[in-house]
Amino acid sequence: MKHALHSVVFALFLASTAALADDMPTYKLTMKDGRFYPETLEVPALTRFRLEVKNEGPGATEFESLELKKELVLAPGVTRNLVFYPMKPGTYKFFDDFHPETGQGRIVAK
Amino acid sequence: MGNAFFVVWRESLEAFLIAGILYAWLKANDDSGQGRRALFLGLAAGAGLAMLLGWALLTVQDELTGEALDMFQTATLFVAAGLITQMVLWMHKHGRQMKARLHADLAAAAEKSGHLGVAVVAALAVAREGAETVIFLYGMAQEGDLSALLLGALAGFAGAGATAWLAAKSLARLNIGLLLRLSSILLLVLASALLISAIDRLLGAGWLPPLLDPVWDSSALLDDGTKAGKLIADFSGYRARPALTSLLAWATYWGVVIFAWRRSGRG
Ligand SMILES: [Cu+2]
Repeated sequence: MKHALHSVVFALFLASTAALADDMPTYKLTMKDGRFYPETLEVPALTRFRLEVKNEGPGATEFESLELKKELVLAPGVTRNLVFYPMKPGTYKFFDDFHPETGQGRIVAK
Repeated sequence: MGNAFFVVWRESLEAFLIAGILYAWLKANDDSGQGRRALFLGLAAGAGLAMLLGWALLTVQDELTGEALDMFQTATLFVAAGLITQMVLWMHKHGRQMKARLHADLAAAAEKSGHLGVAVVAALAVAREGAETVIFLYGMAQEGDLSALLLGALAGFAGAGATAWLAAKSLARLNIGLLLRLSSILLLVLASALLISAIDRLLGAGWLPPLLDPVWDSSALLDDGTKAGKLIADFSGYRARPALTSLLAWATYWGVVIFAWRRSGRG
């Protein structure tokens, strides 16, 4: 019984994440040689979206933004997803905490 | 090399500062020297844990490990913030009696749990910063120039040690009463900064609603996206664009701490 319940909850969880995943626009961000590509990301304001961050190396990187409350350490060759909640129009900065001089970028929500 | 120096310096400094303030605080509170032994044991355990974490992360470089690391970091932030606060408040309440040896049994029991707390906080601080350092250095090592990397890392580590030592030293030069109060306050400020980071992680993961975000924007005054601003943010919990939830957590933390501090001071 407990197992059955678990399976149902798990299936619901999968279904809900799949549903969420479907209607979410995805943007790609590449980290390479201590820089972001692109350095400016334009996203629609007041819309939930997903950011696919890829670290092409060399070296580990840390995608970080205190104002967006995101922090993500990426070993070289790793790709991970971040979900952003609807943002008010404006410019939001992020940086590579392991390469702070060169790794600076911004999200522009319009 | 410059990056290796800066990253290792910053990550180590955070761990060293917690260790350094704990050390100064133990020096004033604990005559037996056992607390300081617990501190060193904790630091060693943390270094071991950091290497284990770094190894696990690099062995399985996939989503799961990344999320496991996130959860570990969020949990350590909460645990460390709670332990530091509990320890400082406990010492404030019982410090006088302990010194006067009025309640020998109570003091002995507290000594034990106090030491465990010191060891755990030190271990967590080292493990958290150490794991990131390990990943960073591993990644840098793939670029090739190993000797420059090693030099930068060692210089960063030594620099962080010297910075923390200077901070603890200048604290120790003050008289005991002032030292006690100052190091207690510094520990509480650090604990509140850890709490804010933990709340940020929950907000970023969508597990907490931000309520109102941001409440203000002071990035023109002090930008937490710059090197210096980030340093201040890490140690004090400052945010240029804080969410209402973070502010509420911060205010609640200080409200509870000040209330407990006053009450234990009277008793
Ligand atoms: Cu003690």
